[in-house]
Amino acid sequence: MTTWKEILKDEIPPEMGKLIDTYEAQMELRKQGKLDEKVFAEARLRKGVYGQRYDNGQRHDGVRTRDLAFPSGEAVKGPDTLWDAPGMQRIKIPYGGLTAEQLEVLSELADEYSDGILHITTRQDIQLHYVHIDDTPDLMRRLAAVGITTQEACGNSVRNITACTLAGVCHDEVFDVSPYADAMTQFLLNHDDVQDFGRKFKVAFSGCAGHACGLVMMHDLGLLAQTREIDGITVRGFTVYVGGGLGTVPHQAKVLAEFCTEEELLPLTQAVARVFARLGEKKNRNRARIKFLVSKLGIEEFRREVEEELKIVPHDNRHTAYIDTLSEFTYKPAKAGMALNGATLREGFVEWYRTNVYRQVQSGYSTITLNTPLGDFTAQQGFQLANIARRYVGDNIRLSVEQNVILRWVADADLPAIYRDLCSIGLGDANAGAIVDITACPGTDTCKLGIASSRGLTAELRTRLLEKINQLPDAVRELKIKVSGCFNSCGQHHVADIGFFGNSRRSGNHKMPHFQVVLGGQWQQNAGSYGLAVGAVPARRVPEVLEALTERYVAERGEGENFQTWVKDLGRKEIKAMLQPYMKLPSFEEKPGYFSDWGDSRVYTIDDIGVGECAGEVVSLFSMEISKAESTQFEALIALDDGDYRLADEQAYKAMVMAARALVRTKNLDVGDDYDIIVDEFRSRFYDTELIYDRFAKGKFARYLFKRHEGLPDRINEDYAHQIIDETQLFIENVHTAEQRINGVIVG
Amino acid sequence: MTIVPKRLGVKFSLKQQPTLQPEDILPIFQRWIQDHSIDGMLIDVIDYKHVPDGPGIVLIADEFDLAYDLSDGEIGLYYVRKRELPDTLKEALRLVISRALAAARALEAEAPGDIEFYYRSAKISFLDRIHYRNEPEIFEAIRSIMTETLGGIFGINVEVARQYDDPRAVFALRCTAESANFDIEALIARLDASLQSA
Repeated sequence: MTTWKEILKDEIPPEMGKLIDTYEAQMELRKQGKLDEKVFAEARLRKGVYGQRYDNGQRHDGVRTRDLAFPSGEAVKGPDTLWDAPGMQRIKIPYGGLTAEQLEVLSELADEYSDGILHITTRQDIQLHYVHIDDTPDLMRRLAAVGITTQEACGNSVRNITACTLAGVCHDEVFDVSPYADAMTQFLLNHDDVQDFGRKFKVAFSGCAGHACGLVMMHDLGLLAQTREIDGITVRGFTVYVGGGLGTVPHQAKVLAEFCTEEELLPLTQAVARVFARLGEKKNRNRARIKFLVSKLGIEEFRREVEEELKIVPHDNRHTAYIDTLSEFTYKPAKAGMALNGATLREGFVEWYRTNVYRQVQSGYSTITLNTPLGDFTAQQGFQLANIARRYVGDNIRLSVEQNVILRWVADADLPAIYRDLCSIGLGDANAGAIVDITACPGTDTCKLGIASSRGLTAELRTRLLEKINQLPDAVRELKIKVSGCFNSCGQHHVADIGFFGNSRRSGNHKMPHFQVVLGGQWQQNAGSYGLAVGAVPARRVPEVLEALTERYVAERGEGENFQTWVKDLGRKEIKAMLQPYMKLPSFEEKPGYFSDWGDSRVYTIDDIGVGECAGEVVSLFSMEISKAESTQFEALIALDDGDYRLADEQAYKAMVMAARALVRTKNLDVGDDYDIIVDEFRSRFYDTELIYDRFAKGKFARYLFKRHEGLPDRINEDYAHQIIDETQLFIENVHTAEQRINGVIVG
Repeated sequence: MTIVPKRLGVKFSLKQQPTLQPEDILPIFQRWIQDHSIDGMLIDVIDYKHVPDGPGIVLIADEFDLAYDLSDGEIGLYYVRKRELPDTLKEALRLVISRALAAARALEAEAPGDIEFYYRSAKISFLDRIHYRNEPEIFEAIRSIMTETLGGIFGINVEVARQYDDPRAVFALRCTAESANFDIEALIARLDASLQSA
């Protein structure tokens, strides 16, 4: 049977192909019980392969919790995560940039491996839900063939790097941050210094301070474009912010460096990563984000640590090589810019133009936002959208953190035609960025941590608001609503005018879904301030609460007063008093409807909440690296079975070097990839010191590595391949044993 | 061309617009999970009715997805078999049609007279672009096998045509029986019997 691996072998970059092959080998090892479930879980997460609700094999059906008897029984892909349970595949789309071809492939994958829906996340990723893990290697290969990776989309690593969707076309930006986001993505992807974090690490770029787009203040690392005059020359650089974040405990980022030049950007980022890896919390995942480290040390001490680290960051040509390629980062519009030319305008165009069209800095061009409900679109819409892109904008597609699709470089003269075409595929709704364009995380639909239905509530609010959108005053239409299914803030409720996050309350013997109301967050100024929680109301009463809040805001606001100021002036006490009537808990008998969530007819329960994988598994760097050596050794075995003895030898040798490197890196993080250096370091640190010595075999297993490193034998045949694979196995076991024995000495 | 596709789907459309709205289907599917109303390991229900021309309300099972589907401008019931497909295309078609018919009959029973499917025609989707690209050559290669197999299943002549022209779209066939002169219950029973004996 033909496979995607064969078909795409010449189209996948070799390095990406190897990473996927390694992951596939790790899957096989896990199936055979030869790879620890925690180690595999972290390896899986770092490929963007995430768990989903009910993957522990239990689901409350509204009456009782039932076991889900998956065919592979008790086989697991992580702690309490059954192998056959459907999962989510997160796909990194750096700074949200997509080509038409990439959009088509994503659509194909949604059709064939998911439920036909592509979901845009608040980090400009695409997520596919209900994916079976067995399908993920081919899914990744098909993505890799068009230049998309899922590498480090989840897990304790650098997540998708985000940037303003208007970067490069904006009137107010200092300069286009897109090529810098692109360069940093490439630099940090799979970098040795980002493999040993206690938690995830999120980076964002913004082109200006005033707007929201980049949201640098709520990021682990935020880069805000700046220029400075140095020796009479205008120099590009960034103000560097560190330690921001939402989550349960939101932090505003602190300034790490007022100005770092293009040359300093990547080494400085690398130094921050190394400090985070070295000093960040590893055991308590609830305090493992960098914001806690910055808070604990204080920004001055953190800055000092980074400056010290910067002195020992190894030289890397890539630190500055990207600067020479910045000028190659250009945009190719599909058509020449041209003004609107009096074409007949379809009904609805004027309103759509008002809310969804941004006049670019480039004359004759506009950027348009496709109001994508709940961030979802179908595979069929994806294909049609690719057609529209090719016809009007070329490869200038982006995804936004507000879960919309953005088309840039539309010739103004084409706006009526593109509006017509978008309407024909159901993506011509006006009011992008307005109150109906609500952001929501997956919540209880698919997330293991979800407490209440963020998507169900969002769909309901959207429907109700759309019915009266034309009657709403502008002050209300312009408000931002964001909804999270729990306190973890994936829906970014802290930075909305009106935010909600899911929780629950007890009434009698039943739990009732609730939403905490968070008011007055600031989206502008790069998420400049966070909202205040003012009280929890039953989920079913949220629409009434929204109405009460907005009506009072309209009635009482002063001339030009915005929502944040109004909330601040009104005060938490008064707001709480306003919400009080809605906070009353009826009994189940009085209001049975209150005991089911939006978009879910089941009687509400919190029994389905599982253990989240958002934080990843805190697995040691050694465990992650040795598991890769083991999967490479497994690939050697496959090559042996295929009769390819030369490849079997190459893979076995590589596996030994990888195992040695895993051990060396517990002493020297910067050992690099050079085989000679790795073997020398291994010899001096572990062989000469006898730390690697086996109790009985002494240094015999280590000498397998040295022997192979000295050169190949004259003849490579089946016997030889067998032998080196066996030796590799023994060597890896020896490294494992040694690491366990000397762990306290070399790691602590 | 007799390779069993990775996923195989069948959609039966409604005869007419029902008074029942998509949101009314959600509690029905939830209850089906509680009651084990249809075969399979039923997992969850997901609501996509906000997506224009989308999958509507989807009952997710381990072996299949069952959507109260709003795509192609036709409301219908779309059964997609994801796993545990038989080894031959003929048996796979029998299985998928049998299960889709059973689910459709179950849904009709929830709203008698309001939800009625048009069984004379169906869309059959081959969700497997490695073996079934949406190309005329693939259609020609499979056409006679499909008419023969479907004719055998329905007991009357069945015409097949490509559903979509777009080469990127899923390879799907519009299958239309030459008359509506067949007994659905008997057909389901016959398919079940043949599946059990296989």
